[in-house]
Amino acid sequence: MPSRVFEETVLPHLDAAFNYARWLTRNGADAEDVVQDACVRAVRFFSSLRDGDPRAWLFAIVRNTWYSRVTRRAGAETQPLDIATDDPADGALDPEARLLQQRDVARVRKALEQLPADFREVLVLREIEGMSYKEIAAIVRVPIGTVMSRLARARDRLSAVLKPPSVPMERLS
Amino acid sequence: MICDQVERDLDAYMDGELAADSTAAIRDHLDACAPCRQRLADREALGRLIRSVPPYEAPAHLRARVAGQTRRTWSARPLLAWAAAAVLAVSVAGALTFVRSTTMRGDAADDVVNGHVRSLMAEHLFDVRSTDQHTVKPWFLGKLDFSPPVVDLAAAGFPLVGGRLEYIAGRPAAALVYQRQKHTINVFVWPESGASSGVTERAIRGFHVRHWVRAGMSFWAVSDLNDAELTEFARALRGT
Repeated sequence: MPSRVFEETVLPHLDAAFNYARWLTRNGADAEDVVQDACVRAVRFFSSLRDGDPRAWLFAIVRNTWYSRVTRRAGAETQPLDIATDDPADGALDPEARLLQQRDVARVRKALEQLPADFREVLVLREIEGMSYKEIAAIVRVPIGTVMSRLARARDRLSAVLKPPSVPMERLS
Repeated sequence: MICDQVERDLDAYMDGELAADSTAAIRDHLDACAPCRQRLADREALGRLIRSVPPYEAPAHLRARVAGQTRRTWSARPLLAWAAAAVLAVSVAGALTFVRSTTMRGDAADDVVNGHVRSLMAEHLFDVRSTDQHTVKPWFLGKLDFSPPVVDLAAAGFPLVGGRLEYIAGRPAAALVYQRQKHTINVFVWPESGASSGVTERAIRGFHVRHWVRAGMSFWAVSDLNDAELTEFARALRGT
């Protein structure tokens, strides 16, 4: 099999893979390293792709690569694997109008980056990559039910982060 | 249907991930319930907000590096197939099972050398770093579906320094790391159903490789150590 087959199948997803890695690592240089390592693995394991979806397959490799890096470094820096356990602050979400006013890319990026990694990635996979719960479950290696609840909690969290600090009206007066 | 139930399934509803009957039930509820409609509208707005963030693009130099690397990595593969064919040609022309196992061994040999090189390049030699076999062996528990034999060979001049998990030829393997002066020896171990065998010797891309099957386990020792010392190492490991 010529390397062209690999290049035509996998390399078109390089941007998407980089975007995912960039969100996982929150850092351009680390994302480059992850993607490069992942592509080496992808070449070696190309036969394991078979009839699968090359993008999801590549994402799973990117995630494994990233995961083995952070577990290797565990303790060396902040804990990117922090699992959020607390429940959403409250049920009251912003009105759409208010959210739309905050259409500020930098602000949303920052809010996303502040989320724990497992929340951040399901949002990126779902909202930016448009993946199904099933695809996400395969990449993240959790049951579909977990994808569902994690996504809901991630959205709750993000809403809460994006919401400006609420100051009770009476205190303003 | 009550609002709590709807709220629980609202994300899956919005994402089109609910079964048809649940979807219909939620749609009916939304028709009648303004607060839930607002909740859905908020969620949809949040989705639009996330999607308004432009995705990061792979830098051109990364793309170039990956493409170059892909070709280099790939070009090693036909050579390997050729090497496996050569091994076949000089071997006794045998039964089909023999042909198949030789091909598989060819793949595994290349994989173990790649694993060895990668462990040195990426400085990822250890998941568990210990000279104590009683620390290294239990570390594999729960990470592999087999228990690799772990022995320290310090007495023979090859101290155990650690271990890690590997994927070789598409299967999980234990990698045990030994040291001889400044040389690293990686021993890859995984279950093998075939009969026990003697030591086969290979040299791949400048690395020496020793392979044998024993007690239901396939062993692959790889190192840049010289031939004689690696043979000595294999003898010491097999003699335990």
